[in-house]
Amino acid sequence: MLDYLRLEVRRTLRDTGFMIGGVVMPVVMYLLFTNLDGGADSDWKTASMIGMAAYGAMGSALNTGGGVAEDRTIGWLRQLRITPMSPRQVVAGRALTGAVTVLPAIVAVLAAGGLVNGVRLDAWKWAVIALLLWLGSIPFTLLGLGNGYRLTAQATGVVNMVCNLTLAVVGGLWFPLTLFPSWLESLSAYTPTNRFAQLGTAVADGHAPTLAAVLVLTGWLLAFGSYAVVSYRRTARTV
Amino acid sequence: MSFTGAGKTFGAVRAVDGVDLEISRGETVALLGRNGAGKSTAISLLLGLNEPDEGVVRLFGAAPEESVRAGRVGAMLQDSRPVPRVTVGELVGFVAGTYPAPMPVAEALELAGIAELAGRRVDRLSGGQTQRVRFAVALVGNPSLIVLDEPTAALDVEARYAFWDSMRAYARRGHTVLFSTHYLEEADANADRIVVIDHGRIVADGSGEQLKRAAGGSLVAFDLAGTGTDGLARLPGVVSVEVRGDRARLRTDDSDATVIALAERGAIRGLEVAPASLDDAFLALTSSDAPSRTFLETV
Repeated sequence: MLDYLRLEVRRTLRDTGFMIGGVVMPVVMYLLFTNLDGGADSDWKTASMIGMAAYGAMGSALNTGGGVAEDRTIGWLRQLRITPMSPRQVVAGRALTGAVTVLPAIVAVLAAGGLVNGVRLDAWKWAVIALLLWLGSIPFTLLGLGNGYRLTAQATGVVNMVCNLTLAVVGGLWFPLTLFPSWLESLSAYTPTNRFAQLGTAVADGHAPTLAAVLVLTGWLLAFGSYAVVSYRRTARTV
Repeated sequence: MSFTGAGKTFGAVRAVDGVDLEISRGETVALLGRNGAGKSTAISLLLGLNEPDEGVVRLFGAAPEESVRAGRVGAMLQDSRPVPRVTVGELVGFVAGTYPAPMPVAEALELAGIAELAGRRVDRLSGGQTQRVRFAVALVGNPSLIVLDEPTAALDVEARYAFWDSMRAYARRGHTVLFSTHYLEEADANADRIVVIDHGRIVADGSGEQLKRAAGGSLVAFDLAGTGTDGLARLPGVVSVEVRGDRARLRTDDSDATVIALAERGAIRGLEVAPASLDDAFLALTSSDAPSRTFLETV
């Protein structure tokens, strides 16, 4: 299965679209949004760094689903079924691929924050933020897989993009929530993305993530997880 | 491997309809049929990709999934393309790693005739090269049985010959090969045994020679020139009668007797006697009033 993971990670990293959309874009947007108009204050530089890292991680996580849809379309999943690998290994390998491929986005944006924007945090904070962003991306991997197992490759691309942009904006990953009308701000508290970023911002502020954040994210984890399982079962019969 | 009364229905379509078939080790068998005849469904049952609605499919005496898990099967599926963004060597090497006793990757590439492509990206190859990569993927695990679903569809003539050379080299090592095709010449030239499938049923099973005989050994054609078609079907040896315009075509298993009888009727204008081709055999076997299986088993 490690061979399978290696093969899939290699394929993902060689995907120019993935590298640009999932890694380069969040870094560029982060540097742009925080340095226009005289530059943001250091609080927003930190908060936006975490928001954009979350945005990049979400994009990469959703992309795992795009990969699955592509694999289905070209018959690669069928081909895997007639190798001695068990279906369980295939699914687990795919999920692990998702876990590995969100790392470049997280690392790249955090590096841009520390090296270019001069964000200063304790070493343990950097480590915990990276770890929480990594773990927090799991619900989005499941959402992507749910789409990828259910939809065609093209539809998956479109649906993933819509999910990505909507969740990013409403969740406040791009702009501070204080710019939102109050009804949108209260809606935002229920989005997975808002709570995802909060995991990191809480640590940057020096305290543990709130129980509410963990509960909301867990709820989304269960919802997207069920969606992925149902989608997978539906296709398993035809793949 | 064996099918016993295997059937599979998709909606209203009876894709595989009570198939009984047994293939022994070392045989090279062609599954011949038109598009939609049930070849791919039969193969998906054999590989455990689908389960039969009724009947039993066994592979090396076990359920297909088990034999696949044990690495005894390699396959080239229809309409599947190799994954993009990996090199030929990476892809074939990965598949080799999933089997318990694979052959060296270099050997598989050599057999498939793509040794020089190892470092090339899979998504930047020609159609013929891609097909050979898929062949290498099927055989690198060194499986006892290799299943090829329409392996030469969409290949040009040259690529097709090269492909069959590779396939025969692999079969000579004592492996069992099952391939499906709708090209008669391919089945005849590359298989020891041809199984003809139509409307989900096996309508013939034997060597190319046997199939030709089964369909009526020869074809006798002549101009009717106003002699009428009455009684032609009852002439000695005649199996079937077909009239196209003013020309009658008699399928016969005793062309001498048929020709003599025709001569007695004076119906010899433009007389032509030809051995039945495989194409004729195929058409005869798969036409709507095709003879039943039991008839052919007496052949």
